[in-house]
Amino acid sequence: MRRRPGIGGLQTAAAARDQYRLVGENVAKIRTDMMKEQLATFRTQLEEFARKHKNDIRKNPAFRSQFHEMCAKVGVDPLASNKGFWAELLGIGDFYYELGVQIVEICLATRPHNGGLINLQELCILLRQRKSDREAVSEDDCLRAISKLKVLGSGFEVISVGKKKLVRSVPTELNKDHNEILELAQAQGFVTVEEVERRLSWTSGRAIDALDTLLDEGLAMIDDGHRDRKRRYWFPCVSSNSTPVADT
Amino acid sequence: MQKLGDFKLPHFFNYPPYFTLQPVRDTREKQVQLWKDLILDYCRTQKIFVIGLEEDFALFSNPVIERSLSHEAREAFLSALVSEGRAEWLDKGHRKCLILWHRVQDWADIIFRFVKDNGLEDSVMTVEEIRSGIESRGTELHGIDRTILMRALRVLEQKGKLAIFKGTSADDEGVKFSM
Repeated sequence: MRRRPGIGGLQTAAAARDQYRLVGENVAKIRTDMMKEQLATFRTQLEEFARKHKNDIRKNPAFRSQFHEMCAKVGVDPLASNKGFWAELLGIGDFYYELGVQIVEICLATRPHNGGLINLQELCILLRQRKSDREAVSEDDCLRAISKLKVLGSGFEVISVGKKKLVRSVPTELNKDHNEILELAQAQGFVTVEEVERRLSWTSGRAIDALDTLLDEGLAMIDDGHRDRKRRYWFPCVSSNSTPVADT
Repeated sequence: MQKLGDFKLPHFFNYPPYFTLQPVRDTREKQVQLWKDLILDYCRTQKIFVIGLEEDFALFSNPVIERSLSHEAREAFLSALVSEGRAEWLDKGHRKCLILWHRVQDWADIIFRFVKDNGLEDSVMTVEEIRSGIESRGTELHGIDRTILMRALRVLEQKGKLAIFKGTSADDEGVKFSM
């Protein structure tokens, strides 16, 4: 449209803007409608899929994990409500609910030993020992169950230390120093004061402070029995004590 | 799982820090509980009645992980059993400990059933016969520690179920049952 000078020109420009805006809104509306329709179709298809593959979803952890990802993409949360369509169709709500309960039980039972921090791997091993083999439990399942627990405000959290994931079931906050020690301990299941000083370049005071805190929180245990007479600080949460620990 | 003869050792026995007395109270409590249960379990299955602190008791060290309990730790765990009434010090120096994996009252009940099962209600036996005679074979009474046996017999004597009397020689005490 050619720009015309003067008031007339301004009015035309305003009218043009309005027109464009209307078209724009229309386009947006059409897009939204289309998207809603697509999503609705998607959801229906997902429901169909879930119905057809109900057994696979229940029995196969890898399949289950991918199913969750698909749901997430469409904005569906099968775990959101225990009474919803999904929960009824798949009974998945119950599965994760039960898992959550068992996770809480295991964390409480092992707390005197590990101070409230447990290796995710070890947790899964203990969970599998409890469940019947009909329904396998993967680490992904554990993480989902734990995230549900978090929503309930139960103080459960998954933290990463080095390459491992630890499940925390106590309010103890780990600061960076503590985290670094735990990471160091992953190699052999224990550290010595000297090792902490050397590998992390800390002063003796800083090392001892951090180790003492971890000891007090019940996350570490001392071992004075090695023939080299050096005190070792063991961390049950980074080692699985199902296997005998060899240490030269 | 590691074994000591036929006995299955619990996981904690292979985790080195459990062989050091823990300074933190909650951790120590857990540790003591584990050791108390292990000691009682082991003594019961192996029929061990007395533990000598300075002797080579199998549970005091684990060669696989090269750890041993210090004297202090040994005394701490056994003292915990004593406090619970599941053990008794035999000397003031705490060098020998009597393990009551059955309490004295439990032993008294066992003797009572033994007498009934063998139709010995009105008979007389020597103390030695009770613990090593033919009837005792295959029962828990076989090989029972004499001190514990005498205690249990005295409990029953107080209830009028039997009478203890001295035999012809010094170590030949006898029991007349009247159940």
